[in-house]
Amino acid sequence: MPETPSVGTNALQREASTSTNELVRVEHVSKFFPVQTGLFASLMNRGNVPSVRAVDDVSFTIHKGEVFGLAGESGSGKSTIGRLVLRLLEATAGKVIFDGVDLGKLSGGEMRRMRARMQIVFQDPLASLNPRMTLGQAIDHPAKIHLTKLSTDERKKRIYDILSAVGMNPAKAFYDLYPHQISGGQRQRVVLARALVTNPALIVADEPIAMADVSVRALLLDLMMKLKEEFNLTYLFITHDLATAKYVCNRIAILYLGKLCEVGPLRDVYESSVHPYTHALLEAVPVPDPTHRRTEAMPAGEIPNAINPPPGCHYHPRCPMARPNCSVDEPPLRELLPQHFTACHYAEELLK
Amino acid sequence: MKNIGVRPPEITPDTTTWEVELEKVGLVRRILNARKWYGADWWFVAISSVLVAIFIIIAVVPQLFAPFTPETQVGPSFLPPGEYPPVPVLVVPITSTVNTLSDMAVTSSQPRPVVSVVQGGNSAGALNDAAQAIDNKIKNEPAGLRLRPVIDRYPTVQEALQAVADGKDKAAVIQSNEFKDASAQYPTLHQAENLAGGAQTAGGFLLGTNDIGQDVWSRILWGTRVALTIGFSSSIIALVLGVPLGLMAAFVGGAPDRLLSLLMDSMYAFPGLILAIAITAVLGPSVLNVIVAIAVLYIPTYYRIVRGQSLAVKEEVYVEAARSIGARSWEILQRYIFPNVIPSVAIIFSVNVADAILTGAGLSFLGLGLPPTIADWGIDLARGQRFIQNAWWMITFPGLTILLVVLAFTMLGEGLTEIFNPKLRSR
Amino acid sequence: MPEDILYSIRHLTVEYTTRAGTVPAVDDVSLDIRRGEILGLVGESGCGKSTLGKGLMRLHTGPAKITQGELWFDGRDLMTLPLDEMPEIRGAEIGMVFQDPMTSLNPVQRISDHLTETIQTHEPEVSEKEARKRSEVLIERLGIRRERITDYPHQMSGGMRQRVMISLALALRTKLVIADEPTTSLDVIVEAKFLDLLKELQKEFGLTILLITHNIGVVAEISDRIAVMYAAKMMEVGDVKDVFAQPKHPYTQGLLRSVPNIKLDGAELYKMAGAPPDLSHPPAGCRFHPRCPFVMDICKEQTPPLEVIEGNQLAACWLYPSVMAKRQEASHA
Repeated sequence: MPETPSVGTNALQREASTSTNELVRVEHVSKFFPVQTGLFASLMNRGNVPSVRAVDDVSFTIHKGEVFGLAGESGSGKSTIGRLVLRLLEATAGKVIFDGVDLGKLSGGEMRRMRARMQIVFQDPLASLNPRMTLGQAIDHPAKIHLTKLSTDERKKRIYDILSAVGMNPAKAFYDLYPHQISGGQRQRVVLARALVTNPALIVADEPIAMADVSVRALLLDLMMKLKEEFNLTYLFITHDLATAKYVCNRIAILYLGKLCEVGPLRDVYESSVHPYTHALLEAVPVPDPTHRRTEAMPAGEIPNAINPPPGCHYHPRCPMARPNCSVDEPPLRELLPQHFTACHYAEELLK
Repeated sequence: MKNIGVRPPEITPDTTTWEVELEKVGLVRRILNARKWYGADWWFVAISSVLVAIFIIIAVVPQLFAPFTPETQVGPSFLPPGEYPPVPVLVVPITSTVNTLSDMAVTSSQPRPVVSVVQGGNSAGALNDAAQAIDNKIKNEPAGLRLRPVIDRYPTVQEALQAVADGKDKAAVIQSNEFKDASAQYPTLHQAENLAGGAQTAGGFLLGTNDIGQDVWSRILWGTRVALTIGFSSSIIALVLGVPLGLMAAFVGGAPDRLLSLLMDSMYAFPGLILAIAITAVLGPSVLNVIVAIAVLYIPTYYRIVRGQSLAVKEEVYVEAARSIGARSWEILQRYIFPNVIPSVAIIFSVNVADAILTGAGLSFLGLGLPPTIADWGIDLARGQRFIQNAWWMITFPGLTILLVVLAFTMLGEGLTEIFNPKLRSR
Repeated sequence: MPEDILYSIRHLTVEYTTRAGTVPAVDDVSLDIRRGEILGLVGESGCGKSTLGKGLMRLHTGPAKITQGELWFDGRDLMTLPLDEMPEIRGAEIGMVFQDPMTSLNPVQRISDHLTETIQTHEPEVSEKEARKRSEVLIERLGIRRERITDYPHQMSGGMRQRVMISLALALRTKLVIADEPTTSLDVIVEAKFLDLLKELQKEFGLTILLITHNIGVVAEISDRIAVMYAAKMMEVGDVKDVFAQPKHPYTQGLLRSVPNIKLDGAELYKMAGAPPDLSHPPAGCRFHPRCPFVMDICKEQTPPLEVIEGNQLAACWLYPSVMAKRQEASHA
């Protein structure tokens, strides 16, 4: 493996508190998107533009070498968090510390160099490949930007190696093809290859298998796990599918309306969740077993509008355990059990 | 509907079909091989490109195809297509030894030949002129021959011809068209020499002549040069200015984008021809000014399409992916946005050329833009319109030519869509 | 046709004309839909399940065309009807629920207008007032508050719009509802509630539902029977419990084992090799043979017919004697 491109030493602002085991630390990150309103409305509400609170004061850490799951329904802000971690979006508040470096403090050039170490894999592989670039060119582009010490031939060899590593054999046959000429599963492999070519430490996988055919998914997941070992990767695995998350994640965070409900080791969360929303979510997942019958009632209503989320705990209007103070006091994320966090005032009642 | 239930045909590396090969060949081969994937419609591209090629060749070297210069008077006015202009001809009995006027030359001792003409027509004058010319040539020759025909005037063609048929007169000089009409009645007579001297009318006029005796066909051929010059130059200028502006506006965004869009939209909203009229009215008539006027007209077209496309492409996941690998803005613009925008530019370019030709013709039709001496379809149309009652060919043929050119370029544009757009092809 | 069968598809072939040639999206498929059942039709994207669903209503336009087959619905062959009589059957006798209800609801019409109009189009004798009353009762039954009937589609959530779609089918007491990926655009909790509702309605109104989905879990949850399609062919049909307990076709076996199960512990996902074939160049013989772990010589040459394997369970696989019995002996002649 070629050496990892390093970020300029002047950019290295090591935080004293960072433990060596941490790769990413997200501290109180928020992202508000202003709502597009008409001219008249914006004149009426000058200085008081309504905004969507896509991500609201979220904190978590990702350890080196783990698969950290980020799960939630649509509109929960999980994809936004993925982009905030990579600084593809600028956070409204809070900071992201990657390997001891506060990303928010990096200059444009430093951030670009840092991108060699953090990559993203999107949900739709066809959309994430430029239709006018061959697969070879697509993988070569990040290499060309970051692996400046390599000659053109060395880069080409590396691309062949990476293509073989993601199971695209013979690599030479794929190099000059265009994205529309290969199958969906193969495209996602190419996207993985493009992410791996600069030898990153972190890969944000945003629903990486959601578009793949059912019979191809297992193979892709398996490949991702193999690559993790081979390339020493850490994954931030964003998904809406809790069943899939169960097979890959070490720890998982559950999001509801831009806020974290529960964070903990996967087994603990799945077997004894300490938040009523997580509980409902796990119950709702369809089980491919006709002998299994869902017994618990599903929460009422649907996810409210993120522009005007309910006060207090966002989940209280649907929560079977809600008490009067739930609509007033916002529950903080607290460590109920070792390494198992919850944002529910009455989580103790859920302990078995 | 998103899920049509059928997956687009896909190519796996082990199936070496012609489609894979097609990807590896250059543009020229791709166009040559176009029929392979274009299905039943390959002839559509073929016909239009042949037409476009022919028009371009004509525009480059019209003199090779045009029988006459377009600006000079080469025949009588309003001659219908395919007809010969009437010329004075010598009509003699079939048995006569006389074949040309000079055959009738005699010595001063011999009797002067009698030639019948029609009263009031111009054949007598032609006869005199021709006879005088021959006479002048031969009078100093030692033989002492002279050509001094006696002119016998009759009130009608029939009487003049009857006199020759009866042997009363040696020959008749009448207009060729009049003889053609009457020849059936006089089987013993035939047309001998043509007194106009003839080189300039040898081929006739394929598409007739206009009001000032210019050849319509030659003017159409020469007009191709003007039309294509205007079409291509103005489209290229509009493209060269409009595309970068559109890309820039979409990529930079903010105030520059809004300002530029406002300007372009107001230009676009303004009726095109009126804007062009205004510009040419200010600049004065010349080919260059017409090109400038039309180019200004079409800058917003490129700007809007490129800006719209770039804005859409900018939101594509692969552009975000490019940012995530640390690509610079310029690289993103150049390698990710531009290549995905340019195919639509290529398509509108071809259609745009057609449109510009039409606008150019429209301008000169209105008497603006081009100096009236230039051979141009619009000017011909304007002239033809004045005489539409009695000379349909003056307006019809330039009109049809414009139609054909516009059709050819538009068809080619549609065909190019398929060639340039591999994404469309797989659908 | 036996009395308990509502819709009988016989040898249906639907072809798409593409530039690469003719692509059979549904290839010689036969299937029975029984009265009052929920039949889950599963398969991966591009296997032809949606094309089959549309074929049942003869909804194909453009490049798609039914080239062969009989569609016996409630005693008559729809293929013999003139196309302009089909609109009377669509909506009134066969209803359709799509993945995205937003595209099938007119955005400028209120929900009440949708419902009353639908009722009055097919039952002109019903008065406006009565139609409105019926709509309100229905919509309340589906868990939407009565006053929301005057809402426009965009004012409703995804789950509510999907309920409205079902109510349109119920308003006319349609005999068959074809639901094409009805829960794919919904979140899991809403999906679970919608599935519960569908099950209740099936029992209460005796609805027959053809549920087209790629989500095996959804089928396991509410279907009575399951039909598995692969590369335009029907691979296996049977009672859900039988098929999940003992899948007969190797494709079904692999598919069921490759679906993540949140309740199951310890088991690894089965990693099926390869990818679904390109239908413009399908493999000869059994379409699944390039990926099949039990592939035999005959699989590469002859297409297995769909035959009864055991009880109500049918499969198209040469591994079984009843299928083998149908083998063409042409090669020996």
